[in-house]
Amino acid sequence: MNKNMTNKPEKKTDDRAGKMKLYSIGSVVLLIAIILLVNILFDRIFGKSLSFDFSDTAQNSVSQATVDYLDSLPADTHIRIVGLFSRPGNVSGTSYQYIIPLLDDYVRESDGKVTVEYVNPTENPSIIYQLDPNNSYDLSSKADSFVVEYNGKIRVISPIDCYMYDEQVYKYYGQYYITGNNTEFTFTNTMFNLTSDYSFKAYIVTGLKEEGNSYLTKILDSMAVETAELPVSANFVIPEDCDLLIINGPNSDISENMYVAMTDYLTGGGKMFVAVDYNLANVSEKYTRLNLLLNQMNINIDPVLISENDPAYQLGSSVDSTVMAADEFADYSNIKYLHSSYARNIRIIENYEAGLYTNPVLLTSQKASLVELDEQGNSVDSDINTENQYNVAACSSGYGNDPAKVYVFGTLNFSSDEYISSYGLSDSNVDFLKSCIRDLSSTKPMTGLNIATKQINNFSLDAQKSTTALSTVILIVFMIAIPVLLVAAAVIVYIKRKNL
Amino acid sequence: MYAIFKREFLSYFRSPVGYVAIAIFSFLSGFIFYTQFSEGLVNIGNEVITLRSFFVVIVPIITMGLLAEDKKRGTDILYYTTPVSLFSVVTGKVLAAFALFAIMFINVIIHIIVTICCGGMVGVGAIGTIIVFFFMALTFISIGLFASAITDNQIVSAIVSFIFILIFQILTVIAGYVATAVDSLLTTIGFSTESASAAGSAVKNAISWFDPFAKTQDFRLGVFSVSSLVYLVSLFVLFLYLTYRVLDKKRWSQA
Repeated sequence: MNKNMTNKPEKKTDDRAGKMKLYSIGSVVLLIAIILLVNILFDRIFGKSLSFDFSDTAQNSVSQATVDYLDSLPADTHIRIVGLFSRPGNVSGTSYQYIIPLLDDYVRESDGKVTVEYVNPTENPSIIYQLDPNNSYDLSSKADSFVVEYNGKIRVISPIDCYMYDEQVYKYYGQYYITGNNTEFTFTNTMFNLTSDYSFKAYIVTGLKEEGNSYLTKILDSMAVETAELPVSANFVIPEDCDLLIINGPNSDISENMYVAMTDYLTGGGKMFVAVDYNLANVSEKYTRLNLLLNQMNINIDPVLISENDPAYQLGSSVDSTVMAADEFADYSNIKYLHSSYARNIRIIENYEAGLYTNPVLLTSQKASLVELDEQGNSVDSDINTENQYNVAACSSGYGNDPAKVYVFGTLNFSSDEYISSYGLSDSNVDFLKSCIRDLSSTKPMTGLNIATKQINNFSLDAQKSTTALSTVILIVFMIAIPVLLVAAAVIVYIKRKNL
Repeated sequence: MYAIFKREFLSYFRSPVGYVAIAIFSFLSGFIFYTQFSEGLVNIGNEVITLRSFFVVIVPIITMGLLAEDKKRGTDILYYTTPVSLFSVVTGKVLAAFALFAIMFINVIIHIIVTICCGGMVGVGAIGTIIVFFFMALTFISIGLFASAITDNQIVSAIVSFIFILIFQILTVIAGYVATAVDSLLTTIGFSTESASAAGSAVKNAISWFDPFAKTQDFRLGVFSVSSLVYLVSLFVLFLYLTYRVLDKKRWSQA
C-alpha cells in the first residue's frame, strides 16, 4: 500500500515531463518545417517579383530595349546561354559579378525564350561537342566564357567582352581598369545577331602596325555584322564573302599585292572603310599606295595635320576639336558637331574621275590650317599654313546598281579602341560610325539595338582631399587610438570590478 | 523586456567584454578603411562585407555570457521565478547584444562621413550591405544566444556559436565537398558520370540554398531581395525559439 502511494506521484511527474519533451521536439520540428516551407514557397512565388534593382543605371536588370527585343521574338524561340564553368556561389568581386545577375534577369524577362545554364566542361566534356561539333571555336580553351547558341549557330563571349576598360591602362600596365558595364549591350546584340537572318561580313585588315580593333568589332557585332581579321601576307587575297573591307588606324602603307587586290575589289563594286590619323608613329607616312587606291575614288589622304584655329571649335587644343557633319550626313548622329583629334586632311582631288560621286563628310571651321610635323613633333616650315575649311572625312561612290563605295576618315576618334574605351559605345561619334557602316551595307536592316553602356560606380576619392597626411591620421585614429583607448577602458573596468 | 535589455546592455560596459568587442571591431574596420583610403579607393560596401566575415569571432565574444553566465552564478532562477515571460528574457538579451553591434557600427558611420567629405561615393550597394549586416548580426546573435543557453560554461558557449557561425560561413564550400563526395560515391557504385555529376550538383545546390551569404550577395550590387531577408529572419526566429525551448525545458524540470 505504502509502496503504491509513493510510486504514484513519480509516475505523474514522468508523464508530464515526457509530454513536455514531446511537445518541445514536436514544436521545434513543426517550426523548422513551417520555416522551410514558407521560405521555399516565398522564394519560388515572390522571390523574383520581390527583388528590386536599386543599383545606379540598373546594372542588374535588362533595359526596355532588350525586353522589347525579347518580346518581338516568336514564342518558340530558344536561345541557350551556356557558361562554360560551374556557377560561382559568390560572384562578388569576380568578373561575373555584373554578368550572372543580369543573365538571371534575361531568363526572368524572356518568358522561356532564353535559358541560362552553367556546365563545367571538365565535369561534362560532351558539352563542347554539343555546342561546337566542328570545333570551330576551340571551346575547350575558353573555360571562363559564355556560349550563346541559337539554331545551331553559336557566339562565344568572354567576361572582358562585357566591360569597358581603359585602353591606356591596359596598353601600359597590361591590366583591365574597368570603366563601364556592357553586359547587356554584348548579350542582347549577340542574340540579335544570331536571331536575325541578315548576313553581312566585314574583314578588318590587320598587320599594318595598327593599335587594335576590339571596340570596332564590338560595334560591328552589335549591328549583326560578322567580322573576321584579314592579316597582311604575301598572298593577300580578299575573300569572296567580303561585304566590307576595313582598314582601321594603319601606321604603315599597304603592300603592292594588297593594292592590286583592293583595286580589283573596288572595281568589282566593293565597299571600304578607311580610318587614319596623324600621330608620331605615322608622321612621315604618306600612304602612297593606299592613296593610289583611294585616288581611284577621288580621295587623297594628305600627310598633314589639321589645326583648328577657331576657338569655338577647339576643345582641348587646336588639334582636339569639334568637326561639323556635312549637310548630307547631318542626320547620321543626334548632334551635328562631333569630336576629332589629330586629324589628317582628307582631300577630294580636283581632277574628278567621271562617274563618281564624292562628298566631304566631316568639315572643320573656315579658320583651320594645315601643319606638317617632323618625327619629333615639331612644326615644319611650309607654305601650306593657310586658313580654310578642310575635310576630316570624305565619302565617294560610283553610280548605278550596287557601286563601289568608300568612307575615309582622317581621325581615329570614330573607330579606335582608345577613343571608344574613353567615351563609350553610346557616344555620338559611334552613332555616326554606325550610320556610315549602315550606308556601306547598302541594305536597310542592320539597325542593331541601341543599348547604352552602364557606368560602374567610381569609388575614387578626391586626390586633393585624401592626402597622405590624412591617411596617416586615419591610421593613427582608427587603428591605434580608438582600439587602445577601448582596451584601456576594458582594463580599468576589469581592475575596478574584479573583486565585486 | 526593457529592464532585461537595459540590464544586459549595461552589463557589457560593467565588464571588459563590451570594450574588447568594440576595440576588436574598431581595429578591424579601421584597418580595412585605412587600406582602402591609402589606395584612394573607398568602397564602404566592401568594408562592411569584410567585417561581416568577422562575425565568427565577434558574435561568440558578445553572446557567450548572455545566458551561460547567469546559469553559472545561479541567477537564472530569477527568470523562472519572477513574473516575466521567458520570451521577454530571450528577446531582451538578443536586443542588448544587437544594440552593442549598433554601437560598434558607429565606426563605419564615421568612415562613411570621412569618405563623403573626401569626395568618395557611398552607393546603394553600400546601403544594401549595411542592411544585410544588421539582419545577419541579428541572426547570428540568436545563434550565439542559443549556444549560451545550452551550457553554463562561457568558453563552451563561445566554441559552439563559433562552430555554428563558421558552418554558415563556409556552407558553399561544404556543399562543394559534399557534392564531390556524392559524385564520387555514385560513380563508384556504377552510375554514369553525367548522372553522378547531376546528383552531385543537385546536392550542392540544395546545401548552398541554406547559405545566407550567397543568398544576400546581390545586395552589394544594389539588388535587394526580400526573400533573402525573410530567410535571415526565419533563422533568427528559429534560434530564438530554440533558446526559448531550452529555457522552458529548464523551468519545467525545476518545477
